Amino acid sequence: MINSWLANRFGLRVEKQIHVSPWISLFIPFISIVLALLVGAVFLSLTGNDPWKVYGVMFKGAFGSVFGLSECVVNAIPLLMTGLAVALAFRMLLWNIGAEGQFYMGAFAASWVALSFPHAPAYLVMPGMFLAGFAGGALWGLLPAIPRALLGVNETLTTLMLNYVAILWVDSLVYGHWRDPQGYNFPLTAQFSDAATLPSLGNTRIHAGVFLALAAAVVVHIILKHTVWGYEIRIIGESQKAAKYAGINVVKNILLVMMLSGGLSGLAGYCEVAGITHRLQESISPGYGYTAIIVAWLGKLNPWAIMVVSFLFGGFLVGGYTMQSAGLPAATVSILQGSILFFVLAGEILTRYRICLVERRNDQ
Amino acid sequence: MSEVLVDMRSITKRFPGITANYKVNFQVYRGEIHALLGENGAGKSTLMSILSGFYRPDSGEIRIRGKKVNLRSPREALEHGIGMVHQHFRLVEPFSVAENIVLGTTGRLQFYLNRKEFADRIARFAQSYGITIDPWAKVWQLSVGEKQRIEILKLLYRGADVLILDEPTAVLTPQNVRELFQTLRQMADSGRSIILITHKLQEVMEVADRITVLRKGSNVGTVFKKDVDERELTRMMVERDVLFSTANRSHDIGPTVLRLEGISVIGDRGIPALKYLSLEVHAGEILGIAGIAGNGQRELAEAITGLRPVAGGRIIVGGQDLTNQPASRFIEAGVGSVPEDRLGTGLVPNMNLYDNVILKDYRKPPIRRGSFLNHRVVGEKASRLVSEFNIQVSDLSYPIRMLSGGNLQRLLLAREISLQPKLLVASYPVRGLDIGATEAVYRLLIELSNAGTAILLMSEDLEELLTLSDRIAVLFRGELMGVVSTREAEIEKLGLMMVGSLAMEGRRA
Amino acid sequence: MLKLRRVAFWVLLIFILTMGLMGCGKSTTQPTSSEGKEKLKVAFIYIGPVGDAGWTYAHEQGRKYLEQHVPDIETKIVEKVPEVDGEKVATQLVQEGYKVIFATSFGYMDGIINVAKKYPNIIFLHCSGYKTAPNVGTYFGRMYQARYLSGIVAGKMTKTNKIGYVAAFPIPEVVRGINAFTLGVRAVNPKATVNVVWTNTWLNPALEKDAAKSLLEQGCDIITQHQDSPGPMQAAEEKGAYGIGYNSDMSKYAPKAFLTAPVWNWGPYYVKVINEIKEGKWKSSQYWGPMSDGVVGLAPFSKAVPEDVRKLVEEKKQLIVSGKWDVFTGPIKDQKGEIRVKDGERMTDQAMLSFDWFVEGVQGTIPAKK
Repeated sequence: MINSWLANRFGLRVEKQIHVSPWISLFIPFISIVLALLVGAVFLSLTGNDPWKVYGVMFKGAFGSVFGLSECVVNAIPLLMTGLAVALAFRMLLWNIGAEGQFYMGAFAASWVALSFPHAPAYLVMPGMFLAGFAGGALWGLLPAIPRALLGVNETLTTLMLNYVAILWVDSLVYGHWRDPQGYNFPLTAQFSDAATLPSLGNTRIHAGVFLALAAAVVVHIILKHTVWGYEIRIIGESQKAAKYAGINVVKNILLVMMLSGGLSGLAGYCEVAGITHRLQESISPGYGYTAIIVAWLGKLNPWAIMVVSFLFGGFLVGGYTMQSAGLPAATVSILQGSILFFVLAGEILTRYRICLVERRNDQ
Repeated sequence: MSEVLVDMRSITKRFPGITANYKVNFQVYRGEIHALLGENGAGKSTLMSILSGFYRPDSGEIRIRGKKVNLRSPREALEHGIGMVHQHFRLVEPFSVAENIVLGTTGRLQFYLNRKEFADRIARFAQSYGITIDPWAKVWQLSVGEKQRIEILKLLYRGADVLILDEPTAVLTPQNVRELFQTLRQMADSGRSIILITHKLQEVMEVADRITVLRKGSNVGTVFKKDVDERELTRMMVERDVLFSTANRSHDIGPTVLRLEGISVIGDRGIPALKYLSLEVHAGEILGIAGIAGNGQRELAEAITGLRPVAGGRIIVGGQDLTNQPASRFIEAGVGSVPEDRLGTGLVPNMNLYDNVILKDYRKPPIRRGSFLNHRVVGEKASRLVSEFNIQVSDLSYPIRMLSGGNLQRLLLAREISLQPKLLVASYPVRGLDIGATEAVYRLLIELSNAGTAILLMSEDLEELLTLSDRIAVLFRGELMGVVSTREAEIEKLGLMMVGSLAMEGRRA
Repeated sequence: MLKLRRVAFWVLLIFILTMGLMGCGKSTTQPTSSEGKEKLKVAFIYIGPVGDAGWTYAHEQGRKYLEQHVPDIETKIVEKVPEVDGEKVATQLVQEGYKVIFATSFGYMDGIINVAKKYPNIIFLHCSGYKTAPNVGTYFGRMYQARYLSGIVAGKMTKTNKIGYVAAFPIPEVVRGINAFTLGVRAVNPKATVNVVWTNTWLNPALEKDAAKSLLEQGCDIITQHQDSPGPMQAAEEKGAYGIGYNSDMSKYAPKAFLTAPVWNWGPYYVKVINEIKEGKWKSSQYWGPMSDGVVGLAPFSKAVPEDVRKLVEEKKQLIVSGKWDVFTGPIKDQKGEIRVKDGERMTDQAMLSFDWFVEGVQGTIPAKK
């Protein structure tokens, strides 16, 4: 009764914050994380765990050892590249949800080079795979860009749908034509030749793709900040009207940006097959292309911030497994990770909007 | 005129580097029309934005009907009966007029249950204020003048009893202005209060009961209209007498720069917006385009700048046929433009001044160096324009949306002029500007014309056209009603042409 | 400023509450340290959750059996590890001091080999793979033997002569199971066919159930599965059909439909291999445990299975356990009716491990290879 009275009497309202002080925008994410950890701690306590111990293990697992740190980097490589890809498109208000599919197509194209030329020397096969990986992703990004640019077909749906096509395409290859003849008919392609694999750093799994990812961040930064093309991208993202007024070819830029965005995701796929799995197989990505959207959003589409966020996210994934070995069931870990993400994203939104309780007027 | 409806006390508001309002007191009585006067950057818009909940004051308090209030959002202000019509409209472009009006009100259920009846209600409601609207028209298809009417209606519909209007007459015809003023007077008589932000002294003298003058963020004084005259108000605003003169206008008309050969243009609503229009503009000439908003001016400006394809006819700029060429070709051919929608089309609000000054010439060296932008050259250009054109800005790297209307227009003109255009299409270049800024814009246009640029000037202010133009062309429903030389022009005749009652012979020459 | 103070207040309040709750939490935690001699630390990496009632559940039962039967060991699990993350988790476990690591999904293979190269003193046991190293052994069970026996049950009990098989992926392990099952069916009912639907997932209860439903729609009256959830059994239960499960006894999910299930029984193997390691006798090998070792078997029959069928199955079981006969003994025809295994000939392990064709009686296809 009281509840319904309250509901009739009061309502919640979301309003845009007119002014966000820079201080608040730094303070809120910090508070969000603290709150998330505290709520997580309550949850952990209720399920009979010691929160300090669990958090300690998570932190130590991710950042407390050379191995943990190296694994953060391993995860950060594809996240950074796909995050940059997504951010670049988002800058132009192109909602490229297709990084996952572009990742797969890049992996596919790079694998095609590696498998077709098993005896080629590294100086031929490596650039070949790089270009193929880029091209595979770029074409997959271009596909939905064409109807978007010419007919205004919403790219959110088309890019998303093409993800499934790409993933199933790779599945059909590894289960079909590309199965390794020596692999007892398991769904794996043959292993790449040594020339076609990226060297790793020391005893870790960090592969040379890390330099590619860092270079990608620098390149994206330079493009956006210092080039004529990046200037056009920024204008289009801010105001299509102004872009047309300035004589910018919006159609051409939609195509180019989606190609570059797809190409970056494709390179991430290339790095993953050449640096980690050394062959093409199913489920090579545990959803990097989707996580990239969160990474890009939290990084506020800024290449440097995306770099930091993808590293932290890498740690987040690594820490999840160490929490399990501290005795937490996988489901609990997922709940904890989900609630931390929820708080961070909610905090992000609250810096831009505010929610207030209002008294309903019954005069209408 | 007894009750104090709005009482703002000692309001101070600072932005980075600027004090927009300093200890301003401002009172509005029930049932009065109160004009708020001041130059650009005097703090009028800021003060009213505070009253309407967009900004929060750094200090000071607001009382409404004697009760202290804390206005945290425009919505809360509206709940206290305060609504504002901004210079930059806040309408949802893809939505219909009716949807925009109902948006955010509590009547949504009724709306969805009976759209037809609701639309009729909106139309009748509009009619009662002398405004004719199509409730189903999409907002993006409307002219600026029509959009403004929707904004006013929106607030009226929500029952605002303190109505703040920021330059409401700029987009209306003289007839409509009179109607609007009648409406405002009716509203005032029925107990609502109107706050009018305006720069047109004659309008102030015509309609206001009281006048508050702001200068540099402070209240210079609040006076009853009957106690002052225009000259005195001007002095209060600018501390000096302004006398605009076009004495230094040269009249050397050069060769044809723009020739339109019977162009036809389809408007956003799919119906012809311009019909077989032929015109010539010469170097050093200012051709004024008169007409009520929505009669094809926007489409004309867009066609001449390459933003809208023509369905027939030819557009020739400096001897080059540019018919249906991309906008970049027009820019290369030396066509500059001051669009109607300054902030959003002519300038990018969320980008800084550096990015905005190169909007038109970023493709050309020395700003472009290979594939890169030459930041040094950009920086030099920005600083040069800021100092040459006296643009008041606290930091070149802040987003320009913080700048006042006059500064934005100076910036826009500065950029266009810096490209030494052969032809400048200026749409309503002084709309919403105060006397000082208007004078500055006029001076820039005349200097540009003297330097040999052909100027196409769109305006609804006949006085302005008569002051500046060499010839005046009148548009009505997309057709040219005639072109008259300013020396021979009579204001009454022009007015009749604007409403289609009179056409010059042989106008389709 | 007021707003900030409010935020600070809430943060503080939640903080205090949390501290309070954590105090309660602490009192219930148990001391983890133990006295006595050093324990052997053994870890298991699972692809699914331990509650899947299938593949991972069966391994988890094995681990519990191991803990009960071998003293001085400490076990640990990490569940729901995607295949690409196997290498990461294995390395983490090594760094936490685990000396023996069981990786229980095929997809961990490359990762385990990589980690094993870096840590030659750690022993890795990989279930269902084919790559070994001095410190990596593989283990698996001859599930096809149990599948064959369950096929006899299905062949005897079908009325429509159509049996539905919900299968995960077209890999040799699954194909082998389908073939063995079909041979069992056809041994007692040459008219019956086995209809295969691929789900392309190991564990997706809703999808598995839908796949089973589509088979039931097509007229199948017995459903069996190579899936990790009891979804197909539930579909059979709802339709009033029979079901033959997999991995573990699934009778409680489908009490009326459930007949039996080929099940894994890892416990004895885990005990054996850990004892070998403790005694220092372990050597890398490819263990493919037959039914005689108890690694695979059939779950207890339900009441619905008649006595004569039980007897028939028991006879065949004794034959297989004795080693005198095995499932893939010729003559075996493929789907086109061509003889693939000659009369009296036995398929080699090598051939069985790379099955890429279906025997006669299977309705379904395997994606083509170049």
